[in-house]
Amino acid sequence: MDNELHIAHRVRQLLNADTRVDGPVAERLRAARNTALERRKIESAAGAAFADNVLGRVRSGAGLSLRVIVPVLALGIALAVTVSWGQKQRAAEVEELDALLLSSDLPIDAYLDRGFEAWLKKRASF
Amino acid sequence: MAEKARLFLAAAACALLAAAPALAAPAGKGPAWADLKSEHQQVLAPLKDTWEQIAPDRRRNWIGLAKRYPKMKPEEQQRVQRRMEHWAKLTPEQRKQARENYRRISKVPPEKRGNLKQQWSEYQSLPPQERQNAAAPKRKPPPRKPAAPVSAE
Repeated sequence: MDNELHIAHRVRQLLNADTRVDGPVAERLRAARNTALERRKIESAAGAAFADNVLGRVRSGAGLSLRVIVPVLALGIALAVTVSWGQKQRAAEVEELDALLLSSDLPIDAYLDRGFEAWLKKRASF
Repeated sequence: MAEKARLFLAAAACALLAAAPALAAPAGKGPAWADLKSEHQQVLAPLKDTWEQIAPDRRRNWIGLAKRYPKMKPEEQQRVQRRMEHWAKLTPEQRKQARENYRRISKVPPEKRGNLKQQWSEYQSLPPQERQNAAAPKRKPPPRKPAAPVSAE
């Protein structure tokens, strides 16, 4: 690699030193220059394509994350609403039940007794 | 694959964050006695002295009861006033048990259960052993285990 650079440097110095190059040598040099330029173009195009690919991946990655996060976020919000609604429903049910129980014909002790309900059911079944 | 797992975790965290306020226990100490409407204070007067010791969700429950109170008949209102303190002193498990029993008793058709007050006094007059027998759950005989299948091998 160093050797190539050294030769290239030498060649450049000779050309800069007003060396006259004619005929087939000049033609070969022009062709070599064109070839070098072509290669350079291909390399930079490949570099651009690589960069575009990377960016594309990043962009598609972001797309994927949005495709996942948005529905899951919506699911989370729906879950929160459902849980909150469920809690309110249960609280309202307990309130109603407590109101009925406290205003009932029977004293609280009747509902605390573990045997009364079973005894009542047994009687009712006869 | 690892990237997908990270994305899934991030999404799950977002979902949890969104649902967190509803999943979390109700915040705060609950309404203070001084914050109650005067008509609710009047209904809940038997609980005034112990109000600060009542759990926040139970306080909301009592306020809910106070809202239903005006729709009750006068005799029902009197019963509520008399029983409030006793009800507030019960443990959450006892209240749960009482609600469950109330539900079950309510399901018995009125024509079959008869006059509940009369039934209760009759039940109370039973000998203690008989009441205990009623409370003891019937034990079912353990189901017979099916014979072990004979292996073909």
